[in-house]
Amino acid sequence: MNLDANRSLIAASLARIPDGDRAALQTVYRLTSAKLFGVVLRILNERSEAEDVLQEVYLTVWRKAAAFDPARASPMTWLITIARNRAIDRLRAGRQVRRIEPIEAAAGVSDDAPVAESVLQSEQENARLHACLESLANNERAALRGAFFDGNTYEELAARMRVPLGTMKSWIRRAMIKLKSCLEQ
Amino acid sequence: MSDTFDHSGVPADELLAAEVALGVLSGPERTQAEQRRLREPAFDAMVIAWEERLAPWAAEIDEVAPPPRVWDNIAAQLPPQAAARGGLWQSLAFWRGLALAGGALAAACLAALVYLGTLSPAPPLVAAIGSDGRQHFVAAVDVRRGTIAVVPASFAADATRVPELWLVPSGGKPRSLGLLSADRGVTITIPADLIAQTTSNATLAVSLEPPGGSPTGQPTGPVIGSGKLTTL
Repeated sequence: MNLDANRSLIAASLARIPDGDRAALQTVYRLTSAKLFGVVLRILNERSEAEDVLQEVYLTVWRKAAAFDPARASPMTWLITIARNRAIDRLRAGRQVRRIEPIEAAAGVSDDAPVAESVLQSEQENARLHACLESLANNERAALRGAFFDGNTYEELAARMRVPLGTMKSWIRRAMIKLKSCLEQ
Repeated sequence: MSDTFDHSGVPADELLAAEVALGVLSGPERTQAEQRRLREPAFDAMVIAWEERLAPWAAEIDEVAPPPRVWDNIAAQLPPQAAARGGLWQSLAFWRGLALAGGALAAACLAALVYLGTLSPAPPLVAAIGSDGRQHFVAAVDVRRGTIAVVPASFAADATRVPELWLVPSGGKPRSLGLLSADRGVTITIPADLIAQTTSNATLAVSLEPPGGSPTGQPTGPVIGSGKLTTL
């Protein structure tokens, strides 16, 4: 399916939710739940917990759709952010077994060779971010991966990569500054 | 707040915004930063900008279809559809009630007549779309207006696929009439070139298609039900 059509359909449906349009929420769910479930499952690593959080995510979308501003954020970014935040909230609430296995600093940008084509996100954006991530030092990129995909805190990342907390903070902050200046080029 | 490291003159707020978007903070640091977002639009905008930068990374995460119970649980927690907007026609409970009351086709036809009223001089065409004795949708054609109204009777939503309505002329190929909704009635304008074929010789069918509808112009998913158009 056409990416732009899909994006506009999600944005148009989000705009109808504040009127109490349940079918609009269901459309958003149909188009995005598999991606958001993937995001939540990756962070929580536990299916029933992830299902529970996915419910919270769409109930949050239902309540907060009026706050979505298409001029400020793309609909997928908005949804992915809600999903990550709810999953991280759940993680921080502490019932989870955290991922504590060591991170291999030499790990590449992606887990598997080609990044799967996404019908929801622009290939251009992906390629640009990918190139900028590639330009980071291996340890910086590995730390960002642990934070973004596994929802790790500074403390957890420091433990996983066996460095002092201060070092980890420096790595992440330096990586984010580099990332920003690379993306702005 | 975050420690004041000197990172080549990058403002502390910018770094904090990056940390919030990445999600590395915990405990009171995280709570305080979230509260600042609510109070300070400028700081909130910085966090959103960071979320925009990072979100494309999620393209790397494989999609995983959630089980149908997730949507069922969500739907159960939503407030009922506002009566003023939907009315009886769009009230799923009303239609399900009718369908369950027995004699679903007769009930649907009666309801269709009530809905269409006496506006239409031509006798209305109706169809109950189902299989194995189960009605999934009921449809009523308003010949004069060239529209078809379709409501779900006992159609169960599917998180990954959408129901698509097809007109199957006698001896002809299915022609798409559009997408249906699992939880409320929709009224579709029949394409001009199909109006002549929307007769009691034709059949309506519903298939399950990817979001956005069949990519080929022909049904690609399972046909979950069909029903012949009948003149009342």
